[in-house]
Amino acid sequence: MASELMWRLGTQMGRRDVLKGTAALGAAAALGGAGALAGYPTSAKADTALRMELMKIPGAGNGSPTDADWQKVGSLCMGPTKQNVQPGEFKGVELSFMGLNNQNLHNFLFRGFLKPWEQYTGATIKWIDLAQGDYNARLQQSIATGTVDFDICEMGAPFEGDVCGKGLTSEMPDWVKKQIDFDDYVNYLKPPVGTWNGKIYRVCIDSDTHTMNYRTDYYSDPGLAKAWKDEGHKGEWGVPKTWAKVQEVTKFMKGKKIDGKEVYGFLDQPKPWGGFAFYFLASRATAYVKYPGEKAWMFDVDTMKPRINNPGWVRAIQDVVDLLPYEPADQINADPGTTAFQQFLVGTGGMLEWWGDIGTVAVTSDTATVGKQILFDILPASDDVYNAKTGKWEVLPTGPNVAPNMAYLGWGIYVMKTVDADSKKHKAAWSAAALLGDSDLSMWTSAYPSGFQPYRQSHNNIPLWVAGGYEEAYIKSYMDSQTTSYNHPNNAIEPRIPGIFQYYSIAEDELSKVYAGKLTAQQGADNVAKLWEALTDKLGRDKQIAFYKASLGL
Amino acid sequence: MQNEIASRAAADARHRAADAAVAKRAVAGRRLIRAASLGLGLVVLAQVLSATDVLPLGLATWRPTLFAYIVWSVALGISQVLIRGEQGKQALFLLPALLFTIAMVIFPTFFGLGIATTDWNLSSLTGVHFDLFGNIATLAGDAFFWNALLNMGYYVLSVLVQYGIAFGLALLLNADIRGRKFFRVAFLLPFMLSPVAISWMIGKSIMEARYGPAATLARMLGWESPAFYGVGWIARASIMTMDAWNWIPFIIILLLAGLQALPGDVAEAARVDGASPWQAFWKITFPLMLPVSVTAIILRIIFELKLADIVINVTAGGPGGATDTVSSFIYREYRDRSSVGYGTMLAEFYLILIIVFVTALLALASRWMRRVS
Repeated sequence: MASELMWRLGTQMGRRDVLKGTAALGAAAALGGAGALAGYPTSAKADTALRMELMKIPGAGNGSPTDADWQKVGSLCMGPTKQNVQPGEFKGVELSFMGLNNQNLHNFLFRGFLKPWEQYTGATIKWIDLAQGDYNARLQQSIATGTVDFDICEMGAPFEGDVCGKGLTSEMPDWVKKQIDFDDYVNYLKPPVGTWNGKIYRVCIDSDTHTMNYRTDYYSDPGLAKAWKDEGHKGEWGVPKTWAKVQEVTKFMKGKKIDGKEVYGFLDQPKPWGGFAFYFLASRATAYVKYPGEKAWMFDVDTMKPRINNPGWVRAIQDVVDLLPYEPADQINADPGTTAFQQFLVGTGGMLEWWGDIGTVAVTSDTATVGKQILFDILPASDDVYNAKTGKWEVLPTGPNVAPNMAYLGWGIYVMKTVDADSKKHKAAWSAAALLGDSDLSMWTSAYPSGFQPYRQSHNNIPLWVAGGYEEAYIKSYMDSQTTSYNHPNNAIEPRIPGIFQYYSIAEDELSKVYAGKLTAQQGADNVAKLWEALTDKLGRDKQIAFYKASLGL
Repeated sequence: MQNEIASRAAADARHRAADAAVAKRAVAGRRLIRAASLGLGLVVLAQVLSATDVLPLGLATWRPTLFAYIVWSVALGISQVLIRGEQGKQALFLLPALLFTIAMVIFPTFFGLGIATTDWNLSSLTGVHFDLFGNIATLAGDAFFWNALLNMGYYVLSVLVQYGIAFGLALLLNADIRGRKFFRVAFLLPFMLSPVAISWMIGKSIMEARYGPAATLARMLGWESPAFYGVGWIARASIMTMDAWNWIPFIIILLLAGLQALPGDVAEAARVDGASPWQAFWKITFPLMLPVSVTAIILRIIFELKLADIVINVTAGGPGGATDTVSSFIYREYRDRSSVGYGTMLAEFYLILIIVFVTALLALASRWMRRVS
């Protein structure tokens, strides 16, 4: 998801602020031995020395990575490719690659990474660069008109219903699965999420989850702590752990000041954002509606009956309505990009649910002024959870319900079925995809501006990040929030069904009326449910049910 | 005498021969266009049969029809010359533009009518079906569309305000003021900017609620917590303001051209007769400017009916649809919801509404102009 947001950020990502001085280099050099990494997860194929070398590209004080750096990274990660492919083996093969060009990331990096691969294998790649906003329309039109003119495609997992569901992708060969070290993926990206109908199609290059980002200076401020006590609030002043507390803290903060500046609590994203804003309501709702042990939380899995208008979802919608008056002026016109890059990262707001971009952008972007005054947590819990099967709210014996939202499920590389008829092209396409999903290369993309976030267990290797210039406490908090969410037994997986963004977009439009006070939360939710039912009928209910089940591995 | 008769006979013979040649060319021309039309018809028929799987001709694209249309267009041009001679040659100047318009505007419009009768959704797994009545029913009950249409009424009314401001500025620029040339260029600058740039520069920066200069000014003026997009009517007014800033120069250009074309002696005579500046404007300048004014307003309304870019970029139609336009709503139906059938229905319906509205507006303006003059 990072890419989406880098694109909106419109800032030049720089490593200057992170990789400062020779200290970082010294630390990296000192950690060169594997001994320093003892106790941290490593991939079976991870080459620690190589990863240390990669983390130094471009190195401290050398500015943002360039095409030469990307090529160097690609070249250093060619080892597994050379084990499976002979020099010049793909001579004469031309592959077409469709991907994004957001913020000069994605395809721009892929070009550099694959340059050494092209030189070694003899294959050439024709690039189709798309802006994020054009991506969905281009993909859907290609599918609908039978004009799939690309052999390899960078694609978000939610589109698998549209693409894999129509049998347009090539199944991953076993040699690729071994080359990319599939077992190193974080657990939730393994089957069923990493598969479609039990088969593997995706080479992961990213992962996604919403986490809570919060301001450390707010929650350690003695003035606010005193005011909290003075106003008779229960418990100590601190980071809210439940949504009820998020509401209470945000209302409390209205009108408060630190150093003469107004402070705010939680930031909502009420403005439609092409379907993506719906993820933020969903992240508010999961603790209320994701019942432990049940995979479905957005639709009934046997009927596709929407749950959006059940009391759990309505409570989440009502929470937004209740809180908007306590948020900054014009918050109703704030989309996710605004809350992240024009508010939280530049000092407005004390809490923000977002993708992992916040943690890396905060310390690598020149325009992010919030700096290291933030830390991270998983999404807040709920004291009770709505059981859609019994139709009742329940207080769980295990305590408050936590349900991290794996919003968007990350980017992947997919090889199209059109290459299957030509064995040479087939191997070439999968070899290129495997390099982009390489285990060591992914460490670099997680740490440097790329558009991608950690998605392997071996990425949770704090010394490597510290060698890259991150403060240990900071990156530990960041990685804890990410990995705890990824590995949570009750994490919420969205439906990878055809047209899922149509459902989200419809909801955004209806919910905007609720937030503007034209409808009650229940009325708005009922409208969404009605429109979702109509859309399901239009897209084919039986097939949607089958795809929904397949996407959840049921 | 005999020579004269012989000479007339020879002339008649030449005329007959020439007529025969003309007739022969005309016949050839008719045959050519008939043959080309038959060929085009056959290719289209073959394509349709192939596309509907009636005949397995393996025509993967519609390029053969395009090529057949190009061949037919060339044949039409040649036949015009053969059939109509000099007049046909004159027609050749018009035909390319006409044929291009047919291919790129008229045909897609009618083809769109066909799409509008379907339930085509790019994500649908069940194919494309006829759903005209379903689309009509959805349209009739689509609160977002009717809300957007109502908003278009407000936006169109705002054109009158724009016109008033533009007239004032045009009078100013037409007057003998210092720095007139500079101001003429300066006033045109907003028109040179893209609405997308205006959205970001003004809508999202200058009017940003916390640090934007407009918000700071509003605070200084006593608005404690300025929010330009928080409440429906304020958000709509903000969009109208940006849109006006972008387009007022266009109206100024037209009005200024009209003002400069006014005969100076009429105004001079009014002054000699003792008319005040207001009387000179209201009794002379304004009536004389009516034809230009009507043209400017109608053109501006046509442009206003297409308003979308600023809305999409700044408010996405919100809050709660308060700033939504029909075009921005159709954009969401297409881009975010892949709803080709229903989206096309909306677009075609809106086109018909615009045609009816603008036609009525022109008729009313024409009648009013006749009455005034």
